[in-house]
Amino acid sequence: MTGAIPSIALVGNPNAGKSSLFNALTGARQKIANYPGVTVERKAGHASFADGRPISLIDLPGTYSLTPASLDEAVTRDVVLGRQDGEKRPDALIVVLDAANLDNHLSFALELLALNLPTVVALNMVDLATRDGLTLDAERLSKELGVPVVPTVAVRKRGMAELLAAVDGAIRSHAAGEVAVPAKANDASLHQRARTIARTAILSETPVRRWTQRVDNIVLHPIAGMIILLALMFVMFQAVYAAAEAPADFLEGGIGVVQQWVVATFPDNFLRGLVVEGLLAGVGAVVVFLPQILILFLFILLLEASGYMTRAAFLMDGLMGKVGLSGRGFIPLLSSFACAVPGIMATRAIPDEKDRLTTILIAPLMTCSARLPVYALIIAAFIPNTTIGGSPVGLQGLVLFGLYLSGIVGALVVAYILRRTVAKGAGAGFMMEMPRYQMPRLRDIAIGLWQRAWIFLRRAGTIIAMTTVILWLLLTFPQAPEGESQVEYSVAGRIASGLEVVVKPIGFNHDIALALIPAMAAREVAVSAMATANAIDAGDDEEAMAQSLGERLQGKWSLATALAFLAWFVFAPQCISTIAITRRETNGWKWPMFMVGYLFLLAYAAAGITYWTAVAFGLG
Amino acid sequence: MTALLENVLDRAPLGVMVRIARIDWTAMSEDEGRRLREFGLMEGCEVTPLHRGSIFSRDPLALTVGRMKVIIRARQAAAIEIEPLA
Repeated sequence: MTGAIPSIALVGNPNAGKSSLFNALTGARQKIANYPGVTVERKAGHASFADGRPISLIDLPGTYSLTPASLDEAVTRDVVLGRQDGEKRPDALIVVLDAANLDNHLSFALELLALNLPTVVALNMVDLATRDGLTLDAERLSKELGVPVVPTVAVRKRGMAELLAAVDGAIRSHAAGEVAVPAKANDASLHQRARTIARTAILSETPVRRWTQRVDNIVLHPIAGMIILLALMFVMFQAVYAAAEAPADFLEGGIGVVQQWVVATFPDNFLRGLVVEGLLAGVGAVVVFLPQILILFLFILLLEASGYMTRAAFLMDGLMGKVGLSGRGFIPLLSSFACAVPGIMATRAIPDEKDRLTTILIAPLMTCSARLPVYALIIAAFIPNTTIGGSPVGLQGLVLFGLYLSGIVGALVVAYILRRTVAKGAGAGFMMEMPRYQMPRLRDIAIGLWQRAWIFLRRAGTIIAMTTVILWLLLTFPQAPEGESQVEYSVAGRIASGLEVVVKPIGFNHDIALALIPAMAAREVAVSAMATANAIDAGDDEEAMAQSLGERLQGKWSLATALAFLAWFVFAPQCISTIAITRRETNGWKWPMFMVGYLFLLAYAAAGITYWTAVAFGLG
Repeated sequence: MTALLENVLDRAPLGVMVRIARIDWTAMSEDEGRRLREFGLMEGCEVTPLHRGSIFSRDPLALTVGRMKVIIRARQAAAIEIEPLA
């Protein structure tokens, strides 16, 4: 041991409750980053021993053994063996076991104990084990394993102090010296030993009729289960629309108040224009969508924490298998509805290389939250806010659902083609543990939501703020002479006029051409770009300033153009972050370039077909 | 050979506990085999197949092993020979 802050790693099987334990130990004091060279998420946090000495904790990806089947499992092995770049070998391990699943989880624990690091076993979720009719003897388990065993209930913060005290003791009493290298053990005999030890530790086992089985009989039913899954998805997208309205209006009002205050307080100069028309109009137009993004993430986090997500993967495996993917891909793809970046990162759990590549390439087709600002603006402006035939189903929500569905269908078709051409390979496997149902914990959900909100706001404050400011400059110079439109006359306007030639056939006007360029950085910038351009266009015209962006677009665009614009964004790969993460995850420029190319082609075709069809129906 | 095919997990009725008699490890990759063992699927252990497939396909299969519920593909289930409990 050095004099530095001891670092302690949490290791364990998937579904052992490791993340809850990590949250209980560190609270909100945690930092998410990436391991250098790989994009596996590194979750680190701080805590302290009872006497106040600080410790640092890292939460390693869940895995079944030290023989990894996927990239994130490899990180766990490399960290505990001290082979991971930029990460020193942990000073101690907390091995997290699911108390109700001892026979299975003990195999990995035995493998970790053989490493000869100071180790403490957290016998987690003992309350659930009791619910399942199990009585365990932690003392006896401790004697068998030769390390302290502390019963914990992470979600109730029970056993945390005892756990840390045991870690402290383990580090102190550990005989420094030889660092064991894992022997290539026969895994079958390891599993046998694990089962024998588990049987010693289990004092009694009464079979309990489990309600969870009755739930699964319905949720995994071929027909009822599918209806439930579709209904959940539908409710999720309706909620994104309905529940976010009030907080979004509130945010919008707030930004308006700040703008008016700046206008009233400061003299009219270059800087005031930049702040009001550039920063506040641009960034503000994106920040108002924070409530919708949070609602979407709330649903995803709840589905994940409750254990339903794996059931959904089970139901979708058949369909995904038909296009050459596996149910494993469902979770990354569903995450991509929030953002393709974590979605693409989550593909690391897919063991088959070709399966994984295909999932990465279609992830941007899932409607991410960055498209929501665009969709929300256009739908609110052009689709009437009515319900269909007296039912509670809103037309606006239905259009949104349709857009999501187009992305999904497009993704399946693309996957089918890719798996038969560039990503050809044998049928992917699908092996997964189904976690028990659990009540999601408010605290874990809140921490997850806070992290997403922070990432979104940081993006709004950096990429989006920067691009809007640059766009404002390009829109403001050179100054138009009296009687000419400033937007048309500016540098940005002239570039847009060039692009307009290309996109005119698919019904795009000058406004859209102007918005598409900065939206390469991030899709939602399209909204802030239009907001900035319109703010400059409105100038000091009080009436124009009072109009919302949607109202102004209503006067300028046809319905056919609006629909074509929506269709474009179903496919267009306009997100620098996604392209960058794809490059990193595929180790080169080949696949991101391929992705950008095919998606732009699809976007152009989809917008064109939508526009021409709409015009044919007289909506032009 | 055909007689044996009837005794595989892939054909087993749902909801009935059976014992794994033999696993044809050569029918799957080494990684797949290891993951099966990590799930606790080994010769001699007792499993209950519970859910099979969706409206799209017969795949996958969900079964309980001890107190754990796992999902595997029909292809792997076809390599697992079973016998009724005594």
